[in-house]
Amino acid sequence: MSSKPPDPPRPTDAELEILTILWSRGASTVRAVHEAIVRRKPTQYTTVLKVLQIMAEKGLVRRDEKQRAHIYSASRPAEWTQRQLAGDLLQRAFGGSAKSLLLGALASRRASRQELAELRQFLEEYEKGTP
Amino acid sequence: MNALALWVHTPVAQAVGWALVHFLWEGAALAAVLAAALFLLRPSSARVRYAAACLTLFAMPVAFAITLLVLLPSHNIEAVTVVRLPNVARLSAVPLFQPVRAPRTFRDLLPWLAPCWFFGVAFFYARGVAAWFSARRLRQRGICAPPPDWQRRLTELCARMRLSRPVRLLESCFTDAPVLVGYLRPVILMPLGCLANLPTSQIECILIHELAHIRRHDYLVNLLQGFVEGLLFYHPAVWWASRMAREERENCCDDAVVELTGDARVYAATLATLEHRRAVALEAAVAATGGSLMKRIRRLLTEPQPAQPTAAPGFAAGLLLVTCAAALAAWPTKPPARHAIPTVALQARLLESQTIEPQSSPLSSALRKSQAARQGPSSFFGLVNFFAQSSTQTAPPAQRKGGDETAQRPITTPYLKWLNEDVAYIITDEERAAFLRLQADEEREHFIEQFWLRRDPTPDTVENEFREEHYRRIAYANEHFASRIPGWKTDRGRIYITYGPPDEIEDHSSGGSYQRPASQGGGTTSTFPFQQWRYRYIEGIGNNVIVEFVDPTMTGEFHMTMDPSEKDELRYVHLSQPPAGQPNSAAPARTAKVFRSDQDHRITIATGGGPDAGKGATRLNTLIITPDPVAGRYHISAEVTTMDGQTVQVVAQNVQAELSGPFVEWLELPAGSYILRATITDPNRVSKSSETRFTVD
Repeated sequence: MSSKPPDPPRPTDAELEILTILWSRGASTVRAVHEAIVRRKPTQYTTVLKVLQIMAEKGLVRRDEKQRAHIYSASRPAEWTQRQLAGDLLQRAFGGSAKSLLLGALASRRASRQELAELRQFLEEYEKGTP
Repeated sequence: MNALALWVHTPVAQAVGWALVHFLWEGAALAAVLAAALFLLRPSSARVRYAAACLTLFAMPVAFAITLLVLLPSHNIEAVTVVRLPNVARLSAVPLFQPVRAPRTFRDLLPWLAPCWFFGVAFFYARGVAAWFSARRLRQRGICAPPPDWQRRLTELCARMRLSRPVRLLESCFTDAPVLVGYLRPVILMPLGCLANLPTSQIECILIHELAHIRRHDYLVNLLQGFVEGLLFYHPAVWWASRMAREERENCCDDAVVELTGDARVYAATLATLEHRRAVALEAAVAATGGSLMKRIRRLLTEPQPAQPTAAPGFAAGLLLVTCAAALAAWPTKPPARHAIPTVALQARLLESQTIEPQSSPLSSALRKSQAARQGPSSFFGLVNFFAQSSTQTAPPAQRKGGDETAQRPITTPYLKWLNEDVAYIITDEERAAFLRLQADEEREHFIEQFWLRRDPTPDTVENEFREEHYRRIAYANEHFASRIPGWKTDRGRIYITYGPPDEIEDHSSGGSYQRPASQGGGTTSTFPFQQWRYRYIEGIGNNVIVEFVDPTMTGEFHMTMDPSEKDELRYVHLSQPPAGQPNSAAPARTAKVFRSDQDHRITIATGGGPDAGKGATRLNTLIITPDPVAGRYHISAEVTTMDGQTVQVVAQNVQAELSGPFVEWLELPAGSYILRATITDPNRVSKSSETRFTVD
């Protein structure tokens, strides 16, 4: 019927870390992924390779075999996976409450479209006002 | 249930109940004091205001505790009561003959306050624990280490801010804004893509902001704030004071950033960009009024706050008076407190509604009128307006009238925006002129529709692929090329929007060392960040067009540097003017090639092309001297010599120039190797000399 492959399953925590690296760096070789992981915790190269192979089977990542060193890329954009994970009960229960604990340059409330337009306008006005 | 019913009649429960009731006015009074203090401290630094807010907030539980201690019965009585509990239980188990008291008085309900309060506190604290776990999870899941030079840069910043605790930087796919988690082992979480796409200067601003939080122990204070909020959750004054503390805290950190970087504008732009990215990423802009981010940006940019006529001090004083009167009435005997409660509670609510929105009062009456004319926009909008008016006092009256009533229907903002932003790069001159001649909005709508229709590759389908692609390019440019100015306005944005994604990008955004090809003299040199975009073919320009962008100011703002013979086709006039009177030859598309940039002296030499490239054996070269970020009067001397020191050409002999952009000079040199010696004195009278070797091939 439909030629579209089925949606990949929810990634595990280890898989999510690799996905995060792929989203952040773009398509990478196993070596590049491994280097990024090792910076956080000691991991064997073969472990990373194995996890990536499993992820490719699950459809979480795509493998480009054109070159000698296979290049992996995330099959879904970060937003899609975030939405998928938002269905996770734990995430739902805790997601909102954590905000009160985080400190950041931005408020936890998002700005509306109109506000954004006004922000930009404000900056432009300001720059015009003080050359 | 029975046990609870009994417990609520113990003196302890009574005392708690009364303490809760008394805190209603105590909290309101403290909040009123804070409101007055914040108003009086307006000219003071955010630090002072933050201290005031924190002091008030933490005074609240203290006041509550003192009240409770005063009201608590002595221990003996308590013990006796506990011992007699079973008897009372049996008695109350047969309540048949108890008279039914129809209207339940406040005194009957009062004891039940204590258990209700306990449940509330338990709820808020449970939520707090959940939040803590969740925050911990956030720093363990869906994260990856950033490129190593970022962690190094963070360590440098830590040293500059004299922070001894190790701070880690991680990229996270779960946050939509940069956040700080943890107190003992703090971690800064950046949303995915932020590090790669935002200019360095902006990311440093963010990092400094978060480091300022660490230095000020804000995470700990924030936790304590959560405790107080949970303990006295039922009083709006507590939440309000807590919010004030949070706001001032962000202001404190904003000040720290500006203090360290010295540039409020970059930082303000950073905040706006972040907010924009977040909205783009999630496409879920929940409509909400108010705008504390706007307030902060405004505060950053307008250091001396404009004097705002306001009713706040009078209001605060009045409120304090009323509260004190209520308090005096309530204090001596307990029962009258019954009447005081509703009023005090009302006061508290009033207090909140008034002081949470201080921006509603300072607007001048004139502004109010203009607001009313605009059919009730949010106060937020009014603020922007207010500032815009005050900052452009000198604008010609005609322009100011522009936004007014509907009389002659001047071209309005959405259409101007469409013309000057959306399609600025693709609209033809005739179309632009025609659009500006239009009188009514319906005509403009029609024009816009036709405009896209003319460009639609498949006019019989509903989708207009051209328009979709165009807006995608704008979004992409804003997402990727934004620096101090929005992405679509940058050179890269302009090229991207006009010609689409290049076929190839050679990226040297990190600058650093660059191996010079042998044909250009060989050796290693250091360059500014630069990118070369290659297009295989551009209609009307030619094959294999290479566009080069350089970021000589290291701010992420890449300028196009290119051969002026292509300049006209690209409709780009900014960097260099060809010498007057030179005919524009239809030279094959060749690009200027920057092969030597000297970071210290900001000198770039580009070879190739020139206004009449291709004629004869000589080739024109460009010498571009980009001023430091400070614009002003420069003294420039420069000469080109052969390798053995014979002067070939004096480029500039102590030329005085007011520079705000690059200084460009054209040279005509036969093929060979040369040395450029330049001495530049900047507006601060600092002289720098440099020697640059280059080759013309």
